[in-house]
Amino acid sequence: MKRLFLLAFFLNIVFAVNGQKYMTKNGFIGFYSHTPMEDIKADNNQVVGVLDISTGEMVFQALIKSFHFDRALMEEHFNENYMESEKFPKSLFKGKITNLASVDFSKTGTYDVTVEGDLTIRDVTNKISTKGTIEVVNGGINANSKFNIVPEDYKITIPGVVRDKFDKSMAVTVTMKYTPIANK
Amino acid sequence: MKLYVKIALFVVLFIAVSGILAALILYNKKHPDTAKAKPDFVVTATVLQKEFEDNEAAASARYINKILEVSGTIVTITPTDSISTNISLKTGSDVSSVICNFHKMTNPSRVKTGDEISIRGECSGFLMDVLLKNCAVIPGRK
Repeated sequence: MKRLFLLAFFLNIVFAVNGQKYMTKNGFIGFYSHTPMEDIKADNNQVVGVLDISTGEMVFQALIKSFHFDRALMEEHFNENYMESEKFPKSLFKGKITNLASVDFSKTGTYDVTVEGDLTIRDVTNKISTKGTIEVVNGGINANSKFNIVPEDYKITIPGVVRDKFDKSMAVTVTMKYTPIANK
Repeated sequence: MKLYVKIALFVVLFIAVSGILAALILYNKKHPDTAKAKPDFVVTATVLQKEFEDNEAAASARYINKILEVSGTIVTITPTDSISTNISLKTGSDVSSVICNFHKMTNPSRVKTGDEISIRGECSGFLMDVLLKNCAVIPGRK
């Protein structure tokens, strides 16, 4: 019995040391909202993401100022009025894959997953749960998810006059292409 | 119509048209043309990254929203979707670099890893690396 316990303990150490971490610095987060006049669309291609396949933990961090809008004026309003990016420069997601056991990271393929965690925007944190896919490919792991967020949940106030023009929620798309972090 | 009425009408019309034009110009204003703009700072990637690493708050106050001209050696070129590309520049750190995002890179094959290059862009801030956006390659500078 004691030997079994020691073996389990030892195996745990081995896995922890080789706890496979994957990372990207070119992660994509985009959001979209339709309005009758002009659609709101922004892309951020400099999101940092880390995925630990042994625990299913996922973390993303994005700079608000890295969101690109085609219309410069919209980007300015986004940063100065709605997001106040000088006060709240970053947003963070910390969560994990809840059905980790159903993903076989050693086999290429696409797996449906559910991810739950805390999303912090403008220093307001909300729990979110979303469905996505994990795609195991040669040399890396791709993660994709689409979900909606309601700006008011993060104290993003859009003036009444303008608010009626947008959809109640923004459609967010996340695409991460992770590569393994080399063990040093 | 009396002359003063004509003049008054003309002035009102002039103000209205100017107002509309100004609004249109503001609405259509473009992202700064970093290829042509005068940079606020000219710095090497190594120095820039070190400043953020040593004191993120001070470097943020100094550089965010400014146009930086950064010189360095290209470490990686990563096309991130059909139109956007990230180029990272070597710094004194193994884990932290300067990453420049080119929203529409014309001719990305003109540059390759190992090239010494000068890039001008707007500073967005710092995550694990110094991040720049709206970047343009400045030709002919080492």
